[in-house]
Amino acid sequence: MSRFVLRRLISGFLTVLTVFVINFMIIQAAPGDPVKTIMGKETDDPQLRMALEAKFGLDKPWPERLWNQFSAAMQGDLGTSIIYNRPVGDMIKERVLPTVLLGLTSAILALVIGTALGIFCARREGSFLDGLFSTVSYTLDAMPSFWLGLMLIILFCSQLRWLPAQGMVNVRAGYEGWDKVVDVLIHMILPTLTLTLISMPGYFRIAKSSIQQVTSEDFILTLRAAGIDDGKIFRKYIFKNAILPTITMFGITLAFLITGVTLVEIVFSWPGMGRLTMTAINQLDYPTLMGVYLIMSISVAVMMVVVDIVYALFDPRIRYN
Amino acid sequence: MQRSWLQSFVKAFRADRQLRYGILGMVFLLIVIIFAPYIATHDPYSFDYTRLLAPGTDGHILGTNHLGQDVFSMIVYGVRTSLKVALISALISGAIGVLVGGLGGFLGGKVDLIISELINIFLMIPSFFLILLIIALFGNSIVNVMIVIGITTWPSNAKLMRSQALSLRERTFVKSAVALGESNSQILFKYILPNGIFPVIANTTRGMSGAILTEASLSFLGLGDPNIVSWGQLIYQGKPFITSAWWISVFAGISIVITVIFFYLLGDGLNHVLNPKYNYGRN
Repeated sequence: MSRFVLRRLISGFLTVLTVFVINFMIIQAAPGDPVKTIMGKETDDPQLRMALEAKFGLDKPWPERLWNQFSAAMQGDLGTSIIYNRPVGDMIKERVLPTVLLGLTSAILALVIGTALGIFCARREGSFLDGLFSTVSYTLDAMPSFWLGLMLIILFCSQLRWLPAQGMVNVRAGYEGWDKVVDVLIHMILPTLTLTLISMPGYFRIAKSSIQQVTSEDFILTLRAAGIDDGKIFRKYIFKNAILPTITMFGITLAFLITGVTLVEIVFSWPGMGRLTMTAINQLDYPTLMGVYLIMSISVAVMMVVVDIVYALFDPRIRYN
Repeated sequence: MQRSWLQSFVKAFRADRQLRYGILGMVFLLIVIIFAPYIATHDPYSFDYTRLLAPGTDGHILGTNHLGQDVFSMIVYGVRTSLKVALISALISGAIGVLVGGLGGFLGGKVDLIISELINIFLMIPSFFLILLIIALFGNSIVNVMIVIGITTWPSNAKLMRSQALSLRERTFVKSAVALGESNSQILFKYILPNGIFPVIANTTRGMSGAILTEASLSFLGLGDPNIVSWGQLIYQGKPFITSAWWISVFAGISIVITVIFFYLLGDGLNHVLNPKYNYGRN
């Protein structure tokens, strides 16, 4: 077991390292000159240029820059935004909470509803409702999240006028305390609904197929032949065996939580990391981009390692491979 | 030989509903691609800044966008973009995946250790963000989009191919080829790749729908190629008008959903037929 954990940790670390190097190489090779962006297109003062290059460490050879950035990042320093002149780490910290709030809520909803519907359909295979839910799930799976978000805006905001379409709070109302919580919840409904609908099909499919697979195994037939109550067989044997893939999938969703939310955040102007990235792209703010991508990759790597270890605790077959 | 292959294809076509609908869907898309100039009612590149028309007015079946371009014709021409992106990026991703995975699984030992670790690492990298970064920094031509999608999605193909090669390596016909002294590259290309490629084909078909969605997402973020007509861009253009001119975004999205479903059906169908667990074609 400890060997398995060690191997997973090493490969997690290698992933972060790879991301760092790829990130660095891309930004080195990219066209466009950040110093020029700060100076303005008309200015071309060699002294100002040198001063700016020295300030951001751009005057050193690339291996040294790579090492400096890496060791700084390992100590939690992600550099300074060249547009806002603020530490990238701080800018990300401000944005993490809204993103995680949105992502986690919809991940849990999708897990619960998708799995429940999957189990329901697996036990009534071929029924009308099974056909209906399976078709809806197939269609939702093919839907771009941002488009679904726009459709919900058309329906609930511009036609029915029930819900707000943009932002996290009503800035004009300036609510405090409990009112503010309610306000955020109301603003959350549409983005959460979009994300839940988009990620539900995965849980639905996995729950349905693994329940069906376990049900068709010999030991279930034996139990049934022994005259054990169907409900009891389901609760004690089928469910326990069939739920493992769902747990893995939930772990993977958690790992990719931040990245998965981006597009929907942009549709609903949700003040999370997705919008931070968009502004950084438009302004060629390299340190911010690199910081966001690095944080995302680290969170993915850490979560994947945790998921693998937890899974190995549940299922001994994994760790001896 | 040729005939029996055709027969088993017909059998599979009849037996598997998803494969049947998938193939019919592909035929439909191909017809739209080939006859696009005849199906489209207007030139999708003809502008008229003074007109933003609702569906059904002035012969614009699905209305026009804020630049006066005919939405229906743009959707018809958009099939070309989507399918081009899907096909080329899937070919790149499939080729890299098959080569890397095949090499790792067939050669084994240290090479395989490095390759499988590489696959694991790249599977963990958030690929959509990497694509976003590269396109944002290197420019958003459609060629860049296709290449970048291709080179960031190969790991799942490599993983499948590797496990195929691992099991093929132990089979008698490969072992006898080794005993006969055939070179490694001969064995790889003559025996391992042709026999192990089927699961990769099914996976690549699923990957094509992923590529269509990725291209649409990039366009929606304003990172699409401005010189071509694409569904993602229509949705992007319609976003500011979502409360007043809903038709710009709505129909383009429906086209994406339908096309992606065709690819899903084809992929699932192929998976049933090519996966040895099912036996439609053989009995």
